[in-house]
Amino acid sequence: MSNEAFTQLVDAHYTPLYRFALSLARREADACDLVQQTFYIWATKGEALREASKAKAWLFTTLYREFLRGRRRDARATSLEDLPPGEQDIAAEEVDRVAKMDAATVVAALQSVEEIFRAPLTLFYLEDLSYLEIAEALEVPIGTVMSRLSRGKTQLRAALAREEQAGRSKVVPFDGAAERKPA
Amino acid sequence: MTNNEAKFILNAYRPSGRDADFPAMATALAQARNDPALGAWFAREQAHGAAVAAKLREIAPPAGLREAILTGARMSGPAAAPRRAWWTQPGWLAMAASVAVLLSLAAWWRLAPVRGGTLEEFAVNFVDRGFRLQKHSADVGELKAWLNEQHRPLPEALPAKFAELRALGCRTVDFQGREISLTCFERGGKEFHVFVARRDFVPDGLESAAPRFLERGKFAAATWTDAKNNYVVVSDAGMDAVKRLF
Repeated sequence: MSNEAFTQLVDAHYTPLYRFALSLARREADACDLVQQTFYIWATKGEALREASKAKAWLFTTLYREFLRGRRRDARATSLEDLPPGEQDIAAEEVDRVAKMDAATVVAALQSVEEIFRAPLTLFYLEDLSYLEIAEALEVPIGTVMSRLSRGKTQLRAALAREEQAGRSKVVPFDGAAERKPA
Repeated sequence: MTNNEAKFILNAYRPSGRDADFPAMATALAQARNDPALGAWFAREQAHGAAVAAKLREIAPPAGLREAILTGARMSGPAAAPRRAWWTQPGWLAMAASVAVLLSLAAWWRLAPVRGGTLEEFAVNFVDRGFRLQKHSADVGELKAWLNEQHRPLPEALPAKFAELRALGCRTVDFQGREISLTCFERGGKEFHVFVARRDFVPDGLESAAPRFLERGKFAAATWTDAKNNYVVVSDAGMDAVKRLF
């Protein structure tokens, strides 16, 4: 791949990849590392990967795998029995709530969704991949993607409500143990 | 197909229409058109999804990421010819030499004390130099308990908007021989670092309970006081983001 073609590839995909990485990694610096690492792998893996039509799905898949590889497996793996209920009806005012929030608050709410639901949820909102591609990237059946999506949306709505509630209170006590009295 | 089954499928429908040919989606869409209650639910669901997606699209990569990707790839990518193992390429060898020099400088730099005549100057310089957290937790209660064990000052109360931030961790810091604390928060990938010093420890006197804002290079900061402590929050998220905390 020529430098020009590589530049075009970066320009086409680095922004949605960064948004996906930020939702996963939560920190800007870590998200940048993930995106850079993904393109680095693309640039060094050889010609075998260079099917332009599959580049986007490959990049998202690789970024997700790099994220999984780079962080410790959560010992508290969520079992299916632990999954929260989905399918809760959405209230009309919830749409207004999102519209009035700034982007950083919405992203913060998204980042608070459990990781198992956060990845499919973010890919859903980004709309860069088809369901088949999302399923391949996450290595789960499409039905599981849809199930996680439903439950992820429920968690996101709860998180958005919490964010809004937090914004309403005037002063927030720094909760926790009582301060030691200085000698 | 029951309405609950239709909702499960429609939940995965995206406004672009790219999923319309997904198995069973056409059936569920038709059902939503014919059932007013299901149709109303679907409309709200789509509006909510569109609102979240629009906010997500507002997030822009930080300046310099694109250039970092392209520069990094030029050093290791396929354009380099003749192809050699990446670690033997002159660029990488030069980079390795540079890194060695930088590491030496960094080691020296890390040993040097952070400068700053006032708490806010010190705080900005401390963040700018980089540091490691000693205690990692998203639970502010846990962080406070840890700081308490270290006999460090604790925030009595933080402005309301801090509740929208996610705690990352904390550490102890020494400023002019005094023991102060540093608690770090994050929101949308941007970090906010809160330094706390007991009022009697900082003779230069940050006397205002109302926040005072200042900019130092790429950092924005705010200082304020309460009955016991002086506070400084430092962030590279920009002055608007810092002001929104108050």
